[in-house]
Amino acid sequence: MMPIWTKSGKRHAVTLLKVQDCHVLRYISKEESGAKTPKLLVGGKNASPFSKSESAMEIFREAGVPRKQKVTTFNVTDDALIKPGTPLYAAHFRPGQFVDVTAKTIGKGFQGVMKRWGFKGQPASHGQTKTHRRPGAISTNKAGKVYRGKKMPGKMGNVYRTSLGLKVWRINTKHNIIYVNGSVPGHTNCLVKVRDSKLPSYKDCNKNPPFPTFFADGDENLPEDLYDEEIFQFTDPSVTYA
Amino acid sequence: CRISSDGKPAKFQPPPKPVITDKRKQREERRFLSPEFIPPRGRTDPLKFYIERKDMIQRRKVFDIPEFYVGSILAVTTADPYASEKVSRFVGICTQRGGKGLGATFVLRNVIEDQGVEICYELYNPRIQAIEVLKLEKRLDDNLMYLRDALPEYSTFDVNMKPVSRLDHEEIPVNKLKVRMKPKPWSKRWERPKYNIKGIKFELPESKMKEAEKWRQPWLEFDMLREYDTSKIEEKIWKEVSEELKK
Repeated sequence: MMPIWTKSGKRHAVTLLKVQDCHVLRYISKEESGAKTPKLLVGGKNASPFSKSESAMEIFREAGVPRKQKVTTFNVTDDALIKPGTPLYAAHFRPGQFVDVTAKTIGKGFQGVMKRWGFKGQPASHGQTKTHRRPGAISTNKAGKVYRGKKMPGKMGNVYRTSLGLKVWRINTKHNIIYVNGSVPGHTNCLVKVRDSKLPSYKDCNKNPPFPTFFADGDENLPEDLYDEEIFQFTDPSVTYA
Repeated sequence: CRISSDGKPAKFQPPPKPVITDKRKQREERRFLSPEFIPPRGRTDPLKFYIERKDMIQRRKVFDIPEFYVGSILAVTTADPYASEKVSRFVGICTQRGGKGLGATFVLRNVIEDQGVEICYELYNPRIQAIEVLKLEKRLDDNLMYLRDALPEYSTFDVNMKPVSRLDHEEIPVNKLKVRMKPKPWSKRWERPKYNIKGIKFELPESKMKEAEKWRQPWLEFDMLREYDTSKIEEKIWKEVSEELKK
């Protein structure tokens, strides 16, 4: 995570996400899966092919791609289909876009009710007998049962969670790095799924994105760094309020 | 003047040649790498530090960040939208330097009209217009937080102080000042060995100093997992940074 300053002098914290060998693996049509939109399987970081069975390696062999550590599905519209085997780059996203980031949260193991659900617990003194971090009452008398989904101690973390509506501030095309506003679930160097935001307020914010994706053919020569309009670039002189 | 055997005036003897010492060699021996360039020990990808360093070098090319240590007196002018002149200037002694990479900070302390003021500035904040080193010196400690409990005369510095001139190749002076403290209670128990403070003149009774020694942890200096040898990393980073800045 890094600080970033805007031209007005405000400071924001930014997370760096690296796009490491992403390839499109397979196209699943609407009829095949029974869903409303066709899907595209996309694979992430390269990993060793020796620890998976032959049947699991079939998908990677068909696409002509080394085995990937993580495979995710993206629901895509009909006009945005990509041929399996094409690499995906960070330039697929542009600064000023809004993005949802999904990842597995840091596992905290078996945790009590105060850390897991934010209960207040009981006072430390004034006669409390052996009760300082317990949940207290779990249901009423009239119910006669404990409702399903009651917040109780259990395994916390290591679950997929999404941070919604994060702004993309900067893209580094040389090293394939996306600078995303705020924090992102997961530990450092964990695998993360980045998707265009589904929030209704950011529906029309994407102006001319590379559609269906950014193909590194050599036609478009993008500069090494793409910045948002409001970012203070370090090549400019210091900010003044005149 | 001497008259030689011929009767003519003596041949002009040139003065003895001066001894030329190559001061460049002496100067090059002292390299200063700002502490925020050294990456902390952790499981982050070195690529992240490389990219952050590129940004830091970019900023240093446009804006000069001078060399300074904890204990030197600095004057910082920042752009302030709420000030009448849109710039605010603060003079103070640097008490701490923290943070790594672009978020590196330093805290300046001064006593203005009997009120102690500490301001934490970010080195790479674009709102900073100028950083001047008024007096470059080191102190006996890395962290001068104990000045909060010292007598206020040790933290007062003249706001209109003139910069103290010093030659380029001299070594940085170490101010071996022993500071006198206000009566206890202090914000932290500075006499305890964990703070390892050498810059205070403790006027506490011997019994209190002996009691503080109970908290000494002599095994810490032999703990191998705590060792972090930065010499090789520093060499590499120093080469990279100096080459980039010369361009």
